[in-house]
Amino acid sequence: MSNYIERFSTSERVLHWIVTASFFTLLLTGLGLYSTLFNGYFTLFGGGRNAILIHKISGVLFFLSSLYMFFNHQKDVSSFDQDDKQWVTERGGYLSRNASHFNIGKYNPGQKLFAIFIAAATLVLGVTGLFIWAPTMFPRWIVQLSLMTHGLMFVCSIMFVVVHVYLATIGNPGTIEAMLYGNVRSLWARKHHPKWYREVTGEKP
Amino acid sequence: MADTINQAARKGILVDTARCIGCRSCQVACKQWNKLDADKTVNQGTFENPRDLTSALYNRIRFVEKETPEAVTWRFLNERCMQCGDAGCIKVCPSPGALYRTKDGIVAYNKEKCISCKYCVSACPFNIPRYDANDKVSKCNLCQSRIDGGMTPACAKACPTEALKFGKRNDLIARAKAAKKEIYGENVLNGLGVAYALEGPPEQYGLPPNPSIPLSIFLWKDVIKPLGILGFWGSIGAMMLHYVTIGPKKVDDDLNNKEGGNE
Repeated sequence: MSNYIERFSTSERVLHWIVTASFFTLLLTGLGLYSTLFNGYFTLFGGGRNAILIHKISGVLFFLSSLYMFFNHQKDVSSFDQDDKQWVTERGGYLSRNASHFNIGKYNPGQKLFAIFIAAATLVLGVTGLFIWAPTMFPRWIVQLSLMTHGLMFVCSIMFVVVHVYLATIGNPGTIEAMLYGNVRSLWARKHHPKWYREVTGEKP
Repeated sequence: MADTINQAARKGILVDTARCIGCRSCQVACKQWNKLDADKTVNQGTFENPRDLTSALYNRIRFVEKETPEAVTWRFLNERCMQCGDAGCIKVCPSPGALYRTKDGIVAYNKEKCISCKYCVSACPFNIPRYDANDKVSKCNLCQSRIDGGMTPACAKACPTEALKFGKRNDLIARAKAAKKEIYGENVLNGLGVAYALEGPPEQYGLPPNPSIPLSIFLWKDVIKPLGILGFWGSIGAMMLHYVTIGPKKVDDDLNNKEGGNE
């Protein structure tokens, strides 16, 4: 038995970091547009006009790469089974100090819902972003609604991303390796995703 | 940026539509003072020309033609930025100093600070701001440079009938009310700097009866924006709290517990 098993292939990891990089570019260029409180972030890009331009470019990149990432994993993240149900009932064991054990496949329901949410948010942010891109070409009410929805979806996204980053780093030590080198320790896989571990290794329970 | 206004110091224009003869001296004087080129227009069978505000047309006379069996009635409305006391454009502008309030209560702008986001276009209750060829905001600023120099805005100066009257906003409104005129824009949006004495209901002039900052713009800037900042820091706080109370799920925990993960 090897100490490590592969969780994400090189292309999956590169795609994930493209999504990450474009997300944080969007965040930094968009902060100044979100509120004048964050006007200073414009200087990172040489002023508001440039920030808007970079926001548009990275927006297209994020839209395409994020949706592509979702479709890559669509099969794994869009079906839920009985073991997932138990995970949801017990909140994944995250609200208790007691050790909890779930028979989880490659992704747990939290990860699946996060993937679905981000895909939906990508769609909404992309479509509303298009209206905001050229506001004088569309009816005023559509642009007004888009400005509000774009802000709302951003807020939801950044809050989910905070949780995502926490759970993938210090919240679950060992997880980040899957996204950095692609391999996770067998012990990690057996603890967090036992069903997936058995599928990959062929080990009997 | 907080948009505060000193009502007592506000200067403005009172548009008395009953006095307007539709001569459009205001349009011409505005173009002259602000050095704006003429727009190419086409004859559309009405004296109204041009048919809409442009980035080179800060004010214009809207011709409201109404035909009855007996006669044709004409009403004239001077259409322009109304210098709202609660200005949607200032509220949404992400570039400090691009759209701002002067000490006279005027909604002024600085093209050099405009970052071309066009948020003001969506936030205006009256659909006034236009963007010029350089993608910069343009609209009436009541000839800010003239007011700063102690002069009357070009349009009011040129108006031969005093349909456009410039002065202290409070005085203008008090005088119009003393003359038993119906005022449009006395209190809405914290008072319009350009208020109207109309001869009929505002709808007849194509004015919204109860103008307000669009609901989605209000929700965006006054609800989602502050709650979003709270939500962001709240989620970070929640994660930190989770880490120090419940703690991380360490794989090593199970080293001493052989059944771990194997159920």
